[in-house]
Amino acid sequence: MNARKIRAAVADISADTDPTRKAAKLASLCSALFRERGVELVVVGGSAIELLTEGAYASGDVDLCRLTPAVLSLRERQEIMGQLGAQGGPRSWQVAGAFVDLLGSLESLARTPLRNLQGAYGVIQVAQPEELLVERVLVSVYPQPHPPARECAKKLAAVALGGAMQFDWKEVRRLATLREYRILPACKALVREVAHELETKSPLDSNE
Amino acid sequence: MNEVMSWEDWLKGRRWRRELGNRVAPEVIQRRRSSSDRRLRKLFKGRRGLRFTPTEKL
Repeated sequence: MNARKIRAAVADISADTDPTRKAAKLASLCSALFRERGVELVVVGGSAIELLTEGAYASGDVDLCRLTPAVLSLRERQEIMGQLGAQGGPRSWQVAGAFVDLLGSLESLARTPLRNLQGAYGVIQVAQPEELLVERVLVSVYPQPHPPARECAKKLAAVALGGAMQFDWKEVRRLATLREYRILPACKALVREVAHELETKSPLDSNE
Repeated sequence: MNEVMSWEDWLKGRRWRRELGNRVAPEVIQRRRSSSDRRLRKLFKGRRGLRFTPTEKL
């Protein structure tokens, strides 16, 4: 991507006042520039949930992790983000009226694929919604009840149950059963509650 | 699950996704505070981010 295109993209993102669309554009632009250097990024956490659910949950920062390579020098990060006129670093930058946080390597136990969105400037890779759901349920319960995480998990479950995204409920069951999560009963209860509110059945209550 | 969703489809699906979530939780569920509060409130004039677009305008 040449300097003129980058400037135009940053101007477009800076002018965008819709927070979710702005975050998607920024993730897309960062992904494209890092990809040119052989670095694959993934949108994670609340930022990923926002792109998948439109849940009005995320704040004004975009959370990204590295899929590859395992190591990325500070110098290289600063050079890439410098192309955008970003300020700060080496893990968090202010750019185009938002913050970009580069959190490290992706931690994932999911077997389902990352979700891909063709963003305004390049493909955005998004963390697996199955694991995002299990994570949020865990955070909603431990170390103590946390209502914002519960509401977030409910919205994610609603979008999945409503058919607005492709979603593998068997994977949710598998992840929730893993030693690393051990949260299946709480997952089942939350999804059952959401299914009831949407007047449908919970896929986690079937024996499949 | 492996296919790439187009930008246009993502934009078109925004209202539907929001409406589904709104059936089970309040419209805006942004956390009231986090470790990033200081920098967020400085950039967004006391808020933690830009105002979310209302559902009817998505």
